[in-house]
Amino acid sequence: MEPSVTAPLSSLRGRKILIVDDDRLNIRILGGILKTEGYVLADASSGEAAIKAYPEIRPDLVLLDVVMPGINGFDTCRALRAEHGEDCAPIIFITAKTASDDIVEGLSAGGLDYLPKPFQAREVLARIRTHLVNRQLVEQQKSLVAQLSKANEAKNKFLGMAAHDLRNPLASIRGLAEFLRDGVVGELTADQVDLVNTIHSASQSMLVMVNELLDVATIESGELKIQVSEQNLSDLVEKSVFLANIEAAKKKTLIEFESAATPVIAHLDPAKIQQVVDNLLSNAVKYSPPGSLVRAVLTCSDSAALLAVRDQGPGIPEGERDKLFKDFGQLSTKPTAGEKSTGLGLAICRKIVDAHRGTIAAENLPEGGCEFRISLPLTT
Amino acid sequence: MNFDGTILLIDDEAHIRKFVGLILKQQLGNPTILEAANGQEGIDAYQRESPDLVLLDISMPVMDGLQTLRRLKEIDPDCLVVMLTSMANRQTVEDAQVHGAVNYIRKDTPKEEIARAIAQTVATYFEADASA
Repeated sequence: MEPSVTAPLSSLRGRKILIVDDDRLNIRILGGILKTEGYVLADASSGEAAIKAYPEIRPDLVLLDVVMPGINGFDTCRALRAEHGEDCAPIIFITAKTASDDIVEGLSAGGLDYLPKPFQAREVLARIRTHLVNRQLVEQQKSLVAQLSKANEAKNKFLGMAAHDLRNPLASIRGLAEFLRDGVVGELTADQVDLVNTIHSASQSMLVMVNELLDVATIESGELKIQVSEQNLSDLVEKSVFLANIEAAKKKTLIEFESAATPVIAHLDPAKIQQVVDNLLSNAVKYSPPGSLVRAVLTCSDSAALLAVRDQGPGIPEGERDKLFKDFGQLSTKPTAGEKSTGLGLAICRKIVDAHRGTIAAENLPEGGCEFRISLPLTT
Repeated sequence: MNFDGTILLIDDEAHIRKFVGLILKQQLGNPTILEAANGQEGIDAYQRESPDLVLLDISMPVMDGLQTLRRLKEIDPDCLVVMLTSMANRQTVEDAQVHGAVNYIRKDTPKEEIARAIAQTVATYFEADASA
């Protein structure tokens, strides 16, 4: 019993081998050897005939003579590889020559191996078996990758649908809670206001999470399309800072904005870049202790706009930097006032910045805190 | 802002009709609000009541927003339609504009944003007439 040899044998039975040789005798000898292991055989008497018959036969392996009338084995090999690319069956040269120059030429033409004449049955079978098993593994791997990418696609589709269907009801819950809170349908007692505020903030943070999931699903499915136009980045950041300060004030944190002397004009997708800036600012507030000062600094070089956001948080823990811009890459650092995090925000930022051909980076500051920097080319 | 016209709100989700209805009342003072839960009901209501403005959801069962929009425009080429959309689906929004929708509102934005878009539409199409 030789399990390591017999195991692949049964699954290789029925594999198709194309023998290309102008010498009928060689085909007969090889055929006799190969039939003992149950391979299915086809043959061609020239390179031209092999190239022509290949698509119909769809062999799992090709045995190819080098010296033939018409185009030789090396050129036949090149032609097959050129036409069928990565999917081309492994090609093994049959050669009486074992001069290393010929072997090298054969390998560089795209052949995987060579069989020296006269044939040794055991060697022929062993070499062919190896290449067929390799090919089988490659095929299995390919189909596995295809299955995985299909599963990933389905996951994204599901994520997108779920997030999308959750979004409207959540937005309504949030909005209706606002109507209640504002007394639009009658005055509430302090206790009632407190409850309604809880509903409001819970639905608000859930909406943020759902939006991030939806963003990731959209981006991953390759549907992130940016619509670039000339924009005043200074105004955009200023607006973000103004809105983020409303939330920051709840933690007694202040965001200061320092803009370049002249407005920074760049080609970008305003809604998407706004999302990035909002995210960096809200992160800075989220991870800085209450009462902190967050600084946003916008500058401009000849070719790029640079925005730095500096917080007073604990910085990025050693060894967790890799996770920072990855999906669900939550760090051990926690928000300082119980805020929520999906670990998706920065991954989304990176993807949006990438789509603008910009860069995003983070660095701990010597004086404490962390600086997030984005750089966006002025023109795309 | 005071607008006392009739607004037809077509959306299959009851919570959206309630939410947007409240925004309309708060923003516009005293409009008459009619509700329909799908495109077909919306068209029936339009023919019965001839509202001044239609707010129309894009994705609905029975008859979707774009189909409904085309049908409304056949019945009344001058009908004023604002699309209600949840995702910023640019293609659908563009299709709707091609078929004559005058504006669109993202339902998943804060109510101030929805109110602003409604006020803008009403100001453009009704108050301009009044001040002219």
